[in-house]
Amino acid sequence: MATTACFIIVSRNDIPIYEAEVGVAAKREDAAQLHQFILHAALDVVQDLAWTTSAMYLKSVDRFNELVVSVYVTAGHTRFMLLHDSRNDDGIKSFFQEVHELYIKTLLNPLYLPGSRITSSHFDTKVRALARKYL
Amino acid sequence: MEPEVSIEGSSMIQVAVIPIGTVPPNVLRDYYSMLLPLHTIPLSAISSFYTEHQKSPFAHQPWDSGSLRFKFVLGGATPSPWEDFQSYRKNLAVLGIVHCPSSPDLDAVIDQFSNSCKSYTSSLVDRCFAFYPNDSQLEDGSKRDGNLRLFPPADRSTLEFHLNTMMQEVAASLLMEFEKWVLQAESSGTILKTPLDSQASLSSEEVIKAKKRRLGRAQKTIGDYCLLAGSPVDANAHYSTALELARLTGDYFWYAGALEGSVCALLIDRMGQKDSVLEDEVRYRYNSVILNYKKSQDNTQRVSPITFELEATLKLARFLCRRELAKEVVELLTTAADGAKSLIDASDRLILYIEIARLYGSLGYQRKAAFFSRQVAQLYLQQENRLAAISAMQVLAMTTKAYHVQSRSSISDHSIHNKGIGSNNTDGGKIYHQSVVSLFESQWSTIQMVVLREILLSAVRAGDPLTAWSAAARLLRSYYPLITPAGQNGLANALSNSSERLPPGTRCADPALPFIRLHSFPVHPTQMDIVKRNPAREDWWVGSAPSGPFIYTPFSKGDPNNIKKQELIWIVGEPIQVLVELANPCGFDLRVDSIYLSVHSGNFDAFPVSISLLPNSSKVVTLSGIPTSVGPVTIPGCIVHCFGVITEHLFREVDNLLLGAAQGLVLSDPFRCCGSPKLKNVYVPNISVVPPLPLLISRVVGGDGAIILYEGEIRDVWISLANAGTVPIEQAHISLSGKNQDSVLSYSSETLKSRLPLKPGAEVTFPVTLRAWQVGMADADNTRHSKDGSCPSLLIHYAGPLKTSEDPNGSTVSPGRRLVVPLQICVLQGLSFVKAQLLSMEFPAHVSENLPKLHDENISSAEGHVNSDSKMDRLVKIDPFRGSWGLRFLELELSNPTDVVFEINVSVKLENNSNEDNHLADQDATEYGYPKTRIDRDCSARVLVPLEHFKLPVLDDSFLLKDTQADGIGGGRTASFSEKSSKAELNACIKNLVSRIKVQWHSGRNSSGELNIKDAIQAALQTSVMDVLLPDPLTFGFRLVRNGFESDNPDPVKESDLPESPASKGSVLAHEMTPMVVAVRNNTKDTIQMSLNITCRDVAGENCVDGTKSTVLWTGVLSDITMEIPPLQEINHSFCLHFLVPGEYTLLAAAVIDDANDILRARARATSAAEPIFCRGPPYHLRVLGNT
Repeated sequence: MATTACFIIVSRNDIPIYEAEVGVAAKREDAAQLHQFILHAALDVVQDLAWTTSAMYLKSVDRFNELVVSVYVTAGHTRFMLLHDSRNDDGIKSFFQEVHELYIKTLLNPLYLPGSRITSSHFDTKVRALARKYL
Repeated sequence: MEPEVSIEGSSMIQVAVIPIGTVPPNVLRDYYSMLLPLHTIPLSAISSFYTEHQKSPFAHQPWDSGSLRFKFVLGGATPSPWEDFQSYRKNLAVLGIVHCPSSPDLDAVIDQFSNSCKSYTSSLVDRCFAFYPNDSQLEDGSKRDGNLRLFPPADRSTLEFHLNTMMQEVAASLLMEFEKWVLQAESSGTILKTPLDSQASLSSEEVIKAKKRRLGRAQKTIGDYCLLAGSPVDANAHYSTALELARLTGDYFWYAGALEGSVCALLIDRMGQKDSVLEDEVRYRYNSVILNYKKSQDNTQRVSPITFELEATLKLARFLCRRELAKEVVELLTTAADGAKSLIDASDRLILYIEIARLYGSLGYQRKAAFFSRQVAQLYLQQENRLAAISAMQVLAMTTKAYHVQSRSSISDHSIHNKGIGSNNTDGGKIYHQSVVSLFESQWSTIQMVVLREILLSAVRAGDPLTAWSAAARLLRSYYPLITPAGQNGLANALSNSSERLPPGTRCADPALPFIRLHSFPVHPTQMDIVKRNPAREDWWVGSAPSGPFIYTPFSKGDPNNIKKQELIWIVGEPIQVLVELANPCGFDLRVDSIYLSVHSGNFDAFPVSISLLPNSSKVVTLSGIPTSVGPVTIPGCIVHCFGVITEHLFREVDNLLLGAAQGLVLSDPFRCCGSPKLKNVYVPNISVVPPLPLLISRVVGGDGAIILYEGEIRDVWISLANAGTVPIEQAHISLSGKNQDSVLSYSSETLKSRLPLKPGAEVTFPVTLRAWQVGMADADNTRHSKDGSCPSLLIHYAGPLKTSEDPNGSTVSPGRRLVVPLQICVLQGLSFVKAQLLSMEFPAHVSENLPKLHDENISSAEGHVNSDSKMDRLVKIDPFRGSWGLRFLELELSNPTDVVFEINVSVKLENNSNEDNHLADQDATEYGYPKTRIDRDCSARVLVPLEHFKLPVLDDSFLLKDTQADGIGGGRTASFSEKSSKAELNACIKNLVSRIKVQWHSGRNSSGELNIKDAIQAALQTSVMDVLLPDPLTFGFRLVRNGFESDNPDPVKESDLPESPASKGSVLAHEMTPMVVAVRNNTKDTIQMSLNITCRDVAGENCVDGTKSTVLWTGVLSDITMEIPPLQEINHSFCLHFLVPGEYTLLAAAVIDDANDILRARARATSAAEPIFCRGPPYHLRVLGNT
């Protein structure tokens, strides 16, 4: 399991709709902030890169120091972004794919307004479980 | 590392610009800005200053197309240890700048300049530019030779031209110096060292190696100078040699340097033509450069050439920096960013990050740029000094746009308007979802908070209180839900601390707390309603006021968009109010020093109020103001003075925020978390200000409280109207509206009309007569709730002059107004009527000495009793000597459920018929009052109303005819009247009778009213109205005749004045002859034949005249006295009685009427014609005293 991993889902409007620190490293506030800053900055790269490939999984698109940003773009241009320090490409890909399924289930909820924050605790639990499994 | 490196940078001549003497900073900046455009001097321009001393080493110099490039560095760059390696790092020239007005002594200036130049060892050309010399200085300076150049005062363009010429001279001098240097280097060679070399131990092997390398390095350096001299072809030739030599000697570092130079030469040579082949070439060579720099890194050495690698990377990135090549550039920049770790010098890292941020910025990657800018700011903040903090603050300010936390002052109006799109179509729900979401784009709250906090920190350190205030305000306003109460307190302290350093009255574009939203626009109070005037009609207000009878109309319902169309009219000079709601969702007490409406149209004076809000509380505040001139008014928000700074709070922003909260896009709704109820969106109506109108103010004289009335109470209320406006009222009309309009008996609209035009300040008072309505059972339960609804109100429509003088065209009609004066009537339950019934009573009469008055009571009273006896007395008391036989009383049972005392006053109004005597005509409305009856609280009482006085004086046949018909007894006898009309007449008669009985009540000092019980009385009287109204056909009366003559004194006053005991008044003595007279009166208009009988009974009721045991002896005739009485006449019959036993006796007169006519029969209700008609008088009491 990765020591540092920050998972974030960014809606097509560039709003983070789900955030989770899924690494095993002790949580430090400034580190968490830095993670968000890196992920936010990586959006610029993703925005160009997403249109150069038909694949949803963009692999690692950006890095800062040891931290790598891997991105998965859904058809609705919702971006799953994972900041990690491990190099487990297959695991990350599986993680993204499973989270995508979870996300689609959330979208199917008629009470969920697409583009708004995902507050479901069930979703959160599942994502964390997936992170433990794959990362 | 150096900032702003580029591939072409290798060809730039670095010139140090230094101020000499005192030069004010802004002046220095001005001079520097004049220098900057002169960065490129064409070779063709300098030829006039150029003299070829020797054969130029720059054989291929392009004199027609080439140019020299300059980089002006204020203060000069610090000498770099790598100067030998890259000549463009040297300060090759020094320009001194002198501002003559502040440095008068030219000698001192020259000295100072030459001293300053000493520190620039590599400088080849020194020049001192002196601006704005005065005449003496000009004269003095022109004599001097050397480096001083004087610029005579001139306008800017002349100065720039002058400066250009001087720079051409400098360029020419530099070119000659370069030639000199190259010639020298070629001939003698030169020792070129870098910090890399100096570290090496000088072993013999090293020395040999260094010697081999020297030639290559010299070639590279000559190449550098060729580049600086603007001759790329020469440079390229030297670089090729250098590359060859460096490759052979394994001098990777210099190899890379030469390669860099060659790329620069290539670019200069191909100036202006960028094609993909060139680009590929540059990319290929630079990759090689980077590779070779990397190769040259030797971990054993303390000094690392990593900066050159990074610079090369940045140079390539800058060269490639285009949107199409973004991926490549990103790759390069990411690699460069990775290199930051290996940089030892913090300032190098700073420069690296700055450059990366710049490159990302020019690539259009704003978020990346912001990220690296923030890294820069963090590096600055680590330096912990004020200047670094200022830099950090400025860098962070640049990132705010990317992080969407920018200060409102930095957003142009245009973008604000764009942001407000969503506010208009808020009801669309999901339809407008996208536009709504776009309002809250990039809500990266965590990083936004971090950025704002860093701005706050850096601003505090930099000593910029306004920026600190603004950052703290933004932080607090936007992210209060994510901040702990302690943190909120800290921010509040930061706000107040910052404001202490600010001058009072400082404005800031970013609002802090509280959150303010529009609550409502109170419609005009009913006192101020504005009514459109229709000048064509007399009743100009009709059709314009929403005062229709319907509560609901289908057109007024509908979507709230209609509300938007509503127009609000404000009037110049009349205060208005707007309700706003303030919320303080934070955990500290918020003190708003002042808040008032922000109106940009300039025709409105707002009144500030101050308010304090408890933690987590909201308040609705009334903000008021006065429109000052005609025109439209828009209210975008409020101006708030809070935490020592004045800010404008826009309603639209809070609306958007609330909208986002409703959609779950923002963190929290500040109003809901304060417990304020959800409010529908309030639309700001179009507000227009109209010229002054008159204004009526109403006041109920004697207090504006509710008028408390008991049921049926009648009272006058005085209403005072005053014109509080500045325009006279020329038209006014009063009407009634609301429920219970009939309770307003009258109002005097003439009083108002007579005072028109009502000047400003004038007042008019008019009465309104009210009668309280009956409180129904339902009302009694909820009087309080329905109190307002059930009250009538006066509607006063009024208007000023038709055309206002201020109106230029005069075509529009100034509107009128409507004043609603609600008559606050509170009706309390008063006396309640239980029932009415008719009682008949008999009072025996006493035999008196004079004849009883057989005339009608009102006649007798008219004949002289008015003065002597109070009417009331006579009406109520039964004359004991007259008796009242078959007297009828109307008994009214009343109860008093209230808690006050009521007094009942029954009065009877007697109407005299026209057939009465003429002398009574002036008394045709005599009223008789009965003593007051007091009914205590929670008591009931019965009031007896004697109906004696309603008896008609004459038994009239015409009346009886109706009567008989109505009673249905003699229905068939007269066919002249139809049943219906007679019935109606009877009813009218009863009504007439009933209407004469008035039951009035009083309570307290000034409550009085009348009980409305006519129906009940009528019902009670219905059956026996005839008995009440009609007199008996015959009336009888007994009288004593004293001393043998008839005491015919009609004056009872004398009688009563006699000093006799009342007991002896009507009494006789036993054993004496008592002469008596019986008087029989015919009340009909016909002669009556009858036989009269007189009987006398004792106490036991035994007949004591006839029979065996008679105790009374008599003379005269007592029975079967046949008499004939002419109409309306009286006949006396005398007789004498002799009583043997003292005691009480009763005399009775009775008569059998012979040949009775129809009238009599009808009156007696005889059933058959054969039946004898029997008349009986009332019993008369006689007291017989003993002889003692």
